[in-house]
Parts: sequence; structure tokens; C-alpha cells
Amino acid sequence: MSFKPFARLLLLGSVPLAAACGGGEAEKPAAAPATQAPAAAPAASAGSASIAGKVSFDGAVPAAEKVKLSADPKCAEMHKGGLERQTVHVKDGGLADVLVYVKSGANGSYPAPAEDVLLDQHGCDYTPHMVAMVAGQKLKIRNSDDTLHNIHPRPQINAEFNVGQPRKGMESEKSFDKAEMLIPVGCDVHPWMRAYITVLSNPFFAVTGEDGTFTIKGLPAGEYEVEAVHGKLGKDKAVAGKITVKDGEAAKLDLTLKG
Amino acid sequence: MSVHSGADPRPQAQGPSRSFDRWRHRFSVLMVGATLFLIFAGGLVTSTGSGLAVPDWPLSYGMLMPPMVGGIFYEHGHRMVATGVGFLTLVFAFWTARRETRPGVRRLAWAALGIVIAQGVLGGITVRFFLPPAVSIAHACLAQTFFCVLIALSYGLSREWLGAPATNSDTTGVRGAALAATLVVWLQLLVGATMRHLHAGLAIPDFPLAFGQLVPSFTSTAIAVHFGHRVGAVLVLACLLRLLVAAQRSRDRSLARMGVLALGLALVQVALGAATILTAKAVVPTTFHVATGAAVLGTCWLTTLRAWRRLRPGPAMTRPVASVAGAASTA
Repeated sequence: MSFKPFARLLLLGSVPLAAACGGGEAEKPAAAPATQAPAAAPAASAGSASIAGKVSFDGAVPAAEKVKLSADPKCAEMHKGGLERQTVHVKDGGLADVLVYVKSGANGSYPAPAEDVLLDQHGCDYTPHMVAMVAGQKLKIRNSDDTLHNIHPRPQINAEFNVGQPRKGMESEKSFDKAEMLIPVGCDVHPWMRAYITVLSNPFFAVTGEDGTFTIKGLPAGEYEVEAVHGKLGKDKAVAGKITVKDGEAAKLDLTLKG
Repeated sequence: MSVHSGADPRPQAQGPSRSFDRWRHRFSVLMVGATLFLIFAGGLVTSTGSGLAVPDWPLSYGMLMPPMVGGIFYEHGHRMVATGVGFLTLVFAFWTARRETRPGVRRLAWAALGIVIAQGVLGGITVRFFLPPAVSIAHACLAQTFFCVLIALSYGLSREWLGAPATNSDTTGVRGAALAATLVVWLQLLVGATMRHLHAGLAIPDFPLAFGQLVPSFTSTAIAVHFGHRVGAVLVLACLLRLLVAAQRSRDRSLARMGVLALGLALVQVALGAATILTAKAVVPTTFHVATGAAVLGTCWLTTLRAWRRLRPGPAMTRPVASVAGAASTA
């Protein structure tokens, strides 16, 4: 009995390696619907109208989840009383961290603002939990913690990246070229960390504060469809309303998201 | 799982190429054990969702030894164990090249080194390209193949392999049953790895039924792959039952014990698969499901090697040849 037949069989078992090398890319999930910036539209000018209002929440607020911090003693040290992860923040009926944006009606092209948008990692959590930016705008990611984080967004349309920030004070700059809704961002070291980035084709958006209020400024006069979307509740629960604004006018729009 | 039999009563063959190298054999058994642990550690990485907790490769956050916190503990821990196994394989390959006189064994030792290097590179590619399923599946399957290569090497160094050639005939088809079981288990692991890396582990959320039916509607690839894995489990059990019956009838007690072990492990594996679903992929049952799968494969493979060594081809295997020869002579 020689070893040859068994060696041949084992070589056959190494076929997955060849398959992986020659294999095509795995099927990507269907891309989220997103508003693409028109390529050759005329540059739009900013206006003087605004839309303000409140996003309310209708439904049972999910219970906060207790985070197991023991995996990283430095995170545990920052939250000596423990950390509870509340993904749906409601105060006085108002829902926080809701992106309210002009879904349609803002015609023209809008260059990316020069200023950066900041996503900070502080206290083993993200600040803010909802990041909104214009396609091409710079996203500054900062580690304010005395522990390491990796920043790993999982977009469907834009390029995925995974960056490590092992030291406190480190900053990285990234950008997303295409409009895309609710890109989940996570830290694989601390799996409870979660934020959402939305990349838009116009600068007319706001994120609700703790009490659910928002103000979208600098709108030109016109008729708009405004949508409110929450990261945890998802795109399926987004609500939209139509509103007409005139130059210099402050229009009011209240929306309600159902749980 | 033992990969040698110290109680083999058959006389030992003489000559330098057939001398038993106790320490190299022990070293190879250590490698088999370390690789099973490595597969367990790799399973932990996926079960805990830590595959990208270290975004760079080959270093970890630019360091050789990052703080072992959160998901880094699993991902970097897996890299450390893998490095250890790689080092053991390197030592073994050079040791074997120096001491072994059988060219087949030498070549297989070098192949093991090549596979472990390729496996490390595949691991790096999974990190650099954000866990592409094709590469992750290949990484998982190559790990199982590497495990089998080490088992073959270890058995090739054992007293049993080095002993006199078999005298008993395989009258009950143990050799074929063991080989078939090994191939079916390997394919089942391929389907399992595909299911795992397509995140289809809970595509069918109930057990033992599937959406309350025996056969679900195949409305997605995930459901089809998941159900394929369940069907594969039934096939594996059938193969192992056949192996057990053949081994028991062979009157070779060692092989009979191997058959019992293989079927026993497979039953544990089915229970772990059920627990994986019923606990919504809790880390412990999910990871043990991966490691026990490797143990089932390793047991079947070792049974195959032992059956082919301990038993000569039986009448069942020689009969077709004889009948063909008979047919030729009458023609």
C-alpha cells in the first residue's frame, strides 16, 4: 500500500483554493434605493426658505439593551455604572436621530460642502448616531477613546472600507462618492457600536435633536417632498410629506414615524 | 481521536524506511490536535462576528500583538494559533525531509506546508477584501483538507501503517464505505461553509421541520443552501450507518470502534446543528458544530486509511474484475 492514492485524493480536496482564486465575486445584495445626483444638471443656488418641525414616534419604545462591556476593560472603565444601548430615543414624544431630507424637488447639482463631517468614537459609542453628508464631502473619523476601534461601514453602492484606529486622537478621512441611504457603520471590536451614514445628492437635510425637532435651512422657493427616516426603524418605516416654501419663509412640517 | 494504534499485534517491517520514529509521530499527533483547535478558533471568529475586528493583515493594527479586547481576542487569537500551526508544519516538513525515506511522505509533508501557507494567504485575503464568501468558503474547506493531510501524515508514521501489509480481505465493503463516507462528509462541510458564509444559518428558523413543512418553498438561495445542508446531514448519517454495519461485520474490532465513533460524533453534530438553529446561532453550539464537523471528517478519513491498510480488497471489489476477465475469455 503506497501513499500515492491518498495524496492524490487530498490534492483533490484542495480544489476550493483554486475555486476561490478563480471564483467571481459573490453576489451582492440588492442596492438600497438612493437618489443619484444628476450628472450634468446646472449648479443650483441656495435659497432663504426653511422647513422646521418635529418628528414624533408612535409605538412602543423598545427596551434598552444592556451592553456587555467586560470584553474591553477600557470601555468598562468609561462606563462604571454600565452602558445601556437605546436604539430608539424618544423625549416628549419626539424621536431623536431621525434624518429629515429633501427627497425630491431639489433640482440641480450641489457641490460637496468644503467642511468635514465628523464621526467621533467616544465612550465606546458613536457620536452622532446618524451622520448625513453630501456625496463627495469629507468624512472625518476620530478616535477619542483610549482604546482601539475599527471603523467598518457596509455600503451597498459605495466602496466598503475597514480602518483601524489603535490610538486615542487618531483621525482618518474618507468620503462616499454616490448617494446612498442608511449605510450601517460598526466597530467589529465592540459589536454594540452602531451608527448610520446617509449620503445625499443635495445639502437640504437635518437630523432631529433629542426632542425630535429639526430645521432644514437655505432652501430655494419650491415644492418639495421631505422624508424622515430612522436608522434602526429602517427605510421601510420612512414617512414623507409634501410642502411648498417661498423665499424667506419658514414653513412647518411635522411627521410621525410608527414603531 | 487517536491516529495511531499501539496495540497492533502484527510484526513490524524492517529497514530504515519503515522504522518507527516515535518523536516525529508524536509531533504529528500534536499537529493534528493543534489543527482541530485551530478550526475551533476559526469557528469562533465567524460565530462572534469578529472576522473584521482586525482590519489589517498580516499585522494587527500595525502591531504584532494588539490588545486582546473585544473581537480582536477572537480574530488575533485565531491568527496566533494559525501561526503556531504554521510553525509546527514548517518544523515537521524539514524534519520529515531530513529523516523520512519514503518520497510520498516527504512530498505530502511539503504539500502540508504549502497548504498551510496558502491557507494563511486566504485568511489575509478574507480580511483585505471584507470576507468575500467565495474566499471565506475556500478558507474553511482548505482548513478541513489540511486537517486530513495531517491525519494522513500522522497515520503514515504510525506503527500500524509501518507494520506488515494486510492479510485479511475486505469481505464487507468497509474500505468503500469509509471512503464514500469521507467524501460525503467533506461535501457536507463544503455546503455547511457555504451556508455559514452566506449567513444562511437561520434561513430556515425551525427544526426539525422547515417552515413547518418537510420540504420548504425554495424562495431564496439561502433557504436552498440551508435545506441542502440538512439533506446532507441525512446522507452523512446514512453513509455512517452503512460504514458501521460494514465495520461491525468485518470482525476487525479497531475498525468497528472507528465506525461507532464516527456515527456517535455525527449524532452529536446533528444535535449541535439543531442547537445552533434553536438558539439563534449562539456562539457555543455554533462553534462546536464547526469543530465537531472537522472531527467527523477526520474520523471518517482515518477510518478510510486504516481500512485500506488493514484490509486487502475483498471479493466484492475483485469480483467485477474477475467477471470481466471471464467475459473476455469466453468472448
